[in-house]
This record gives sequence, structure tokens and C-alpha cells, in this order.
Amino acid sequence: MVSASSIVVKVWQLSKAYRNHRAIENVSLEIRRGEIFGLIGPDGAGKSTLMKIVAGVLSFDKGTVRVFDIDLNSETSAERIKQRIGFMPQGLGLNLYADLSVEENIDFFARLRDVRGGELKRRKEKLLAMTRLDRFTDRPMKHLSGGMKQKLGLICTLIHEPELIILDEPTTGVDPVSRRDFWEILTELIHYQNITAIVSTAYLDEAERFHRLAFMYGGKVIGDGDPETLRASFPKVVIEVATQDQVEVLERLRSVFPQVNGLGGRIRVFADRTISKGSLDRIFGEIGINHFEEVEPSLEDVFAMLIEPGSSNPQLDRTRGKVVAPRLNEDLPSKGKHTFKESIPNCHGETVIEAYNLTRDFGSFRAVDNVSFEVRRGEIFGLLGANGAGKTTLIKMLTGILSPTSGEGKVAGSDIRRAGREVRERIGYVSQSFSLYQDLTVVENMRLFAGIYGISGKRASVRIEEVSEMTGLGGYEKELAKRLPMGIRQRLALACAIIHFPEILFLDEPTSGVDPLGRRRFWSILSNLVGNEKVAILITTHYMSEAEHCDRLALMHGGRIVANDSPVALKAQLRADIGELLVVKARNLQKVLGPLRSIFPNASFFGNKVHVFASDPERAKDKILETVGRDEIVEITSQDPTLEDVFVFRITQLERMERT
Amino acid sequence: MNIKRIIAISHKEWREIVRDRFFLALAFVVPSTMLLVFGYGLILDVENIPFCVVDYDKTPTSRDYIYRFIGSRYFNFRGTVEHEELLRPLFEASKIRFALIIPEHFERDLRAGRSVTVQSLIDGVFPFRAATSKGYVLAMNRDFNGEILADYFSKKFGIPLDRAFELAQPVRIQLRYLYNQELRSTWSIASAMIMFVLMVSPPFLTAMGVVREKESGSIYNIYCSTVTRGEFIVGKLVPYVFISVLNSLILWAWTKFLFGAPFKGDPVFFFFASVVYVICTTGIGLLVSLMVRTQVAAMMVTIVLTVVPSVLYSGLFIPISSMEPIGQFQSHLFPAMYFTDIVLGSFLKGVGIKHLWDRVVALALYAGLLWVISFMLFSKRPRS
Repeated sequence: MVSASSIVVKVWQLSKAYRNHRAIENVSLEIRRGEIFGLIGPDGAGKSTLMKIVAGVLSFDKGTVRVFDIDLNSETSAERIKQRIGFMPQGLGLNLYADLSVEENIDFFARLRDVRGGELKRRKEKLLAMTRLDRFTDRPMKHLSGGMKQKLGLICTLIHEPELIILDEPTTGVDPVSRRDFWEILTELIHYQNITAIVSTAYLDEAERFHRLAFMYGGKVIGDGDPETLRASFPKVVIEVATQDQVEVLERLRSVFPQVNGLGGRIRVFADRTISKGSLDRIFGEIGINHFEEVEPSLEDVFAMLIEPGSSNPQLDRTRGKVVAPRLNEDLPSKGKHTFKESIPNCHGETVIEAYNLTRDFGSFRAVDNVSFEVRRGEIFGLLGANGAGKTTLIKMLTGILSPTSGEGKVAGSDIRRAGREVRERIGYVSQSFSLYQDLTVVENMRLFAGIYGISGKRASVRIEEVSEMTGLGGYEKELAKRLPMGIRQRLALACAIIHFPEILFLDEPTSGVDPLGRRRFWSILSNLVGNEKVAILITTHYMSEAEHCDRLALMHGGRIVANDSPVALKAQLRADIGELLVVKARNLQKVLGPLRSIFPNASFFGNKVHVFASDPERAKDKILETVGRDEIVEITSQDPTLEDVFVFRITQLERMERT
Repeated sequence: MNIKRIIAISHKEWREIVRDRFFLALAFVVPSTMLLVFGYGLILDVENIPFCVVDYDKTPTSRDYIYRFIGSRYFNFRGTVEHEELLRPLFEASKIRFALIIPEHFERDLRAGRSVTVQSLIDGVFPFRAATSKGYVLAMNRDFNGEILADYFSKKFGIPLDRAFELAQPVRIQLRYLYNQELRSTWSIASAMIMFVLMVSPPFLTAMGVVREKESGSIYNIYCSTVTRGEFIVGKLVPYVFISVLNSLILWAWTKFLFGAPFKGDPVFFFFASVVYVICTTGIGLLVSLMVRTQVAAMMVTIVLTVVPSVLYSGLFIPISSMEPIGQFQSHLFPAMYFTDIVLGSFLKGVGIKHLWDRVVALALYAGLLWVISFMLFSKRPRS
């Protein structure tokens, strides 16, 4: 049981509205001393509002909030917690001072908090060493990379040694290595200094890092607990099937199971828990699948289920009021119905995007550095990378908006340097920012884009209907674009980009800030698009979990591509390079930390677990048990490495090579 | 109040301002530029009025009459035309703003003792300029009449010409302009511009400085720390007040040495009054910054709130005494009027604390009020 004094934050029936927009509704939560508590949800879920209220920097309408047993019911009482908390608002480095150096920033925060003299010097040295920023103390903050800004932000938040730190989306837009670094530092601090942390994130793959977490959606907490309990609450069994011919197998599986998701080279099937192993064998055997395995549901599965029970099955949407179903999973339209398809030659595998040594400089800054890759028709090619990795610049070069400094590229057979109107008609582009007309309705927007590309009259009407069915916009036709929820807007942007039958689609971070359910729908639309219209898709994202959906992907880091292959091949290569991923679950992490580090110097923390890589898993297990002591270890399991593991390894390897 | 924390905030603010080129320019280049642009550009003197003549008489007397205009520094002769019909296109093209039409038999009629009518056309598009031009024309004409009369008396009564002059003008006015003998509008404009620039620039800087912290989110560093409201406001604004005081000295120097306006008042008093005024206008910026969220909004609101009263209600262009009662009342509500009195008094009139202390008190009250309201409005735990 948890004693009352160990509860650091207690939120009870909290509500908060901004003018007529309800930001938080009836939220109750408890956060215990010494834990990393996660708030997970899409943009606009109410995470920031909740964090600001807990930090005592935002007033609220109803409910109670107690921090360190102090009731935050007035500005005066809120002042009483402020020496004991640290708060880092959203936006990478935005709360820091761009023109001040690293050290000046830290000093300012320290002096605000009355930390001075030898004490400041001692703390500063320790934190700078820990974050490896000690070499950059004189550098102005504006010249730091995203990851360094985030670490500096963390130092500034910690300089007065608060008991509770509140970090609002600290990892958004940061490269995978810095992200991992950040979690290492945070976990270490929590363990050694008994700090409590509240951290929000939009990345579901980070959920594993938390001791406990709350899923937020539409201003409410729709589920909370530790990752294991949440996972155990998932009402279905998840089965993964590896396949080459996705479209075909998907169709067959859908005839049997109501909930099926395509994901890169794999298919995920959601089956009832009641189903027996024997009958599963039989069912899969009947449709010609011999190899399948049961996997743990991901926290993303859990979140999607909580947002909309039974939601992994979007067919159910059809029954809901006026919002007609985006019949995503099975909207493989019958062939004869779509007249346009005849105009598209079926030539799967033809290379439609080629980039050779593309480079682009902005002054002395090299945004894209010697990048080469190819994308074939009928393929989803993912471009991953942090903010500032060069993704958008690359897309702009390929679409003819920017000209390359050097190198060559061909899109749809034409040189990108001379890409004229003809090429533009063969590509579709969804930009990072919402580029539609807010005051036009869904149909008016689509008609406008059809008109721009010279599709009019009957042909336009047919195409609009077709496209809105494909993107699941049925039922929204008369809505103004500005009234649409984020997820639907992105689908409208997609609809407008494909209205002129493009062969190639460029999507620049189309899913940022969209909730997991909306993202899943979007991806399922994309995979149908690739299947049906045989378009080539080049998509950028900073969600690692989305990378799994791509047929092939390239990771960009500092303007360069550091890895380029299919997700499965990338993971296989990682196994060959550094071995299997072992997850060690310990009784008391503090006790095992030292010994584990002595065997595996790059052991990393995920909540109350430790991840290590071992080329010989069996021997490693024995060694761990031997060194740490059997009593301390709850269990050691092996797990599939994530793409983040792959990228962290690749980037650190590259950086190591460059240093030597 | 923890003085160390105030210093920490001020120090940080100062460093940011000095290192940000845009802000530094806003702080030091813009105010001086404003003074120079307005000081040279906003000249209200009407001189060199371009004009043409239609002389149907073409006699020595008519030429004599015309030469009086040509020789004056108020008029700029652009030539003669043959016929008055030809004047219209010149007026339309703004080539001239004034024309004289001398009728036939001008000399003959005058000699015969008959009065003559000279037609004069003035461009009335700008009433102020037209009225001034009219004044010049009437004065020229009056002098000419006086001479004719004196000439007549001299010949008629056989008295010397000076005596005849006195006879022709029984009552004469002796005019002397006080404080600005030559009526140089640059003197008064440049010194009044100190008022204007110090009204606009400090609130602008302050509002931008505070709101950019709101926009970026760095204001949360203050909200979630133990710094008190008062410490933050004082610490944040000290650099801006300092910059503006520095600017008041720079502007003073421009006005005195570049525009040559005399400074006859008490420098210590004027400096003290400027500091009070700057604290007051900085307070306006602080108040604006608490009510808006974005830098763009801060810019717009500050301009509206400061430019309008300092142009309309300062007494610079429109004398307060000639306003409607409501306008007079409004003038007293804005700090601009009080400081206009202080600036003009110190520069041109050479009066000091004895005559202007009440204005300084008004400004001080104004400043106190603004800062107190801002202090009350500032919350470390706002509603949104």
C-alpha cells in the first residue's frame, strides 16, 4: 500500500476551461514520490494545461490540486511549492535565452533560485558533466542542436535541486540518440536523488519508460496505471504474421477476423482472448498461413482501445451517427467501379524517385549532405529524423521548390532542376503546415484542387466522391475545413493532394500531433492508396513507431542518411551487429544498476526495467544472474529490438567512427 | 524584495538586449532616427512659395510691384506667362501655388489716383499654407500702398519722404517674438520631438521585451520560481528605463547641437523630469504587455496608445486652449502634454522647477498609478 506522505501530487476532479474551450474535464490522478509519471496523448489532449496547473502557474476552475500536501487554491499557496518544483514548458529550448551562453543560462536560473557560490559551482559541474555539455559552456544557446537544448533545459530545471520536476514534451522533435540520452539522465537522477518527475509525451513508444502513466484524450484521463497492468487490461490477443504479399493476405485475414492491421512487412490480427491455440492453428492453416506468433499488445494498442473501445476495427464507425465510416481496413474497392484506374499503368517496381548525392547548403550550413536513395512505385518510403535533420529540405528539392547545391535527382523521370508543370501534375504534396482553405468546406476544397489541375464537371464529381471514400471523409463534405478535428484535416489534405491522380505523393510530417487512432487510420489509408492506385509515397515522420509501417526507410541525421533498408532488414542487421535485446526486470533497480553497468556499459533504462544487448543471450543471462544475484532479478526476457534501437546504434557508431 | 534576484533579472535582460542586434537597434538607432527624420521633415514654416505672374500692364510700376514678391524669401519666382488661361495647368501640375495677375492700365490708373484691383490666386488645398501665403501677400500689398501714399504726401505737401511715411501710418505695431525670436519652427519641433520619441520608444521596447517572454514561454521560468511579482517587474524594467534615460540624453544632444535649439533651462531639473517621464512611459509599455499575448499585438496597441495622444493631445500642433472642453480634459489625461510643457519650457523659455514642478508631480503620479495597476494585474498564476 501507498502511504499518504508518499503521494506528491494529488489531483481530484479537476476541470479547466479557456473561454469556451474545455481543456480539462474532471481529471483525478495521484503521483507518488520517486516515480516517473507519464502523461501521454495527442496535441490538445490537455497535457500542458494539467502540467501548468500542477506547477502552480495556471489557475483552474473546479476541483482540488494538492502538491506536497499544499492545496493550490490561490496564488499565495501556489508560491509555497515553487522552491520545491522545477518546470520545463513545451517547445525545445524555447524557455531558454537564445543570446545567452550555456553557462549564462544556467547561472540565471540559479540566481533566480538563490543558488550561488560554491554550491552553484558544484551542481553546475556535476550536471554539465552528466549531460556532456561541459565542452560547450561558452556557446550561445541558439547555436546548440535540438538535443543539447533539451539537456540544457533539463539542467536549468534541476539547478535548484527540486523534489518534483514537471517536463512538458521534452523529447518532441529530438533525434533518437539525444532522446535516449535524455531518458538515461532522467532515470539516473530519479534513482539517485529521489526526485519525482511528471513527463508528457506524444510518442507512445516512450510509454515503456514510465513507472506509471495516464492516457489523456479530449481533456480526460481515459486510463492510467503501470504499463503492465494497462497491457493486461487489453481485451484481445495480438497475433503477428510476417508476409511478403500484404494486400492478398490482409484480404484473406479480414474475411475471418474483424480487426486486422497492416504494418510494414507484418500484419497484426486482434483475436478474442477466448480463442484457443488449437483453433488459431486451424484458422490460420485454412487461409494458408503457417507461421504466426502471439505478441504482447503494445501500449499504442491499449490507448487506441481506450479512445474508442473496439476501435482497432474502424468498420464499426459506420454505425455512428452522421459520421460515415472511413472503411479503412477493408475499403479495397472493386476493380470495375473506378474508371480512373485504367489510366494508371500497372508497373509495380518502376523507380520513380532517384536521388544521387543531393546536397543543399544554406550559407555555411549544410542542410542536406550527399544523400542518395531510390523509391519505387507501389512503395512507402519513410524518411525519419529529428527537427533539423534535413527532411523538409530534401523534400523541397525533390518537389522542385528548392534547387540543390550539388547532386542530381529525378522525379517521375524528369530532372528535378528542370522540373516544370508537367512534373508537378504527376506529384502530390502535403506540407507540414496545414495548407488548405480554412473557410471552404471539405468538398469546396477538393473541387478547388481538382480545378487547379484541370479536372472539372462530371469527372471532378466522380473523382471527389472516389477520393472522399478513399480517405474516409464521407459525412464531412459540408463541414468547414477549420472546424475539422486534426486527424480529419490531415485526411482532407491528403485527399486534395491525390485528387489529380498523382503517381508520387510527398507527405511532410502529416501525422504530427494526431492521436494514435487517427494516425492508424491515416496509415491504413496510405497503404490502401499504395495498393490500389500504385502510387509511390515518400513520407517524413519523427514517430519511430510509424516507421514500422514503411516498406523501406531512411534515417536522416545531421543532413545525412545513416541507414536505408526495410524495417525487418534493419533489425536483422542490428541483431547481427550487437545481438539480441534482453529485458531485465529487477526487484530494486538501484541495487542492480551498478553491477549491470559493469557488464553492459550501454545498458539503458525503461521505467523499472533495463535493456541490454548480448550477442550470446544464454550466456549473458547466466552472467547477469551471477553478477547481480538471483534474488534481485524478477525475470529476463528477450524482445524484438525497436527501430529506435537500430537508429541509436547506427548514429553512435557513425559518430564513433568520425571521432577516430 | 530580494535585491540579488532583481539584479539577476536585470543583468540577464541587459545581456539579451545588447546581444540581439534587432533589439539593440530598436533601443538606440530608432529613437535618434525618429528625431532626425521628424526634426528635418516636419518643418511648418511656409517659405519659397512658387509663383507666376501675368503682367498685362508691363510698365515700370507694375514691374516694381512684382519685384517686391520676387525679392522676398517667402516667394520663389517661376516666371511670367502671357495669359491667365495658362496658369491653370501650372496650378494643376503643382508647379506653382500662387499667381499674381496685374491688370492693364495698372500704372495709369494709380497715377490718376484710381484704385486698382490686382487678382491673386492661391492654391487652397492646404488651408494652413494658404492662410500663411495670404498673410504674406497682404503684407506686401500693404507696404506697397504705404509707399504710394507716402510718395503722394511727400509730393503734395512738400515734406521729406520719412515724414510722409509717418503720416501715412499713424499707428504702427512693434512686434517681437519672445523665446524664439526668428520663429524657427525647427527649434520647437526638435525639442517637442524629444517628448514624442520618449513617449513612443520606451513603451514599445518594454512591451516587446515582456511579451517576447510570454510568446516563447520563458515567462514560465518566472512563474514557477520564487521570484516575486515586484522583483520581476522591477528587475525586468530597470534596463529599459536605463536605456530610455540614456536616449533622453542623446536626444537632448541632437536637439541642442544638431538643430541648434538653445537650452536655457536648468539641466538638472530637466534631467530629473525626463527620468520621471521615462518611468511613466515605460509603465505604459508594461501595462500593454500584460494585456496582450503576441509581439505583433504589443506593437499595434503601443503605437495606437502612444502616437495618438502625443500628436493630438500634447499641444504640439493644436494649442490645448483652442480645444473643445472634452479635448482639453483628454489632454490632461495623457502624460504627453505635461512633458511638452517641460521640454519647451526648459529649452526655449528657460524656466525651471519654479514654474514646472506641478507638471513633474503630475507625471510622477501618472507613473505611480501605471506601475501599481500593472503590479496588481500581473499574476504568476494567470487564467490562461
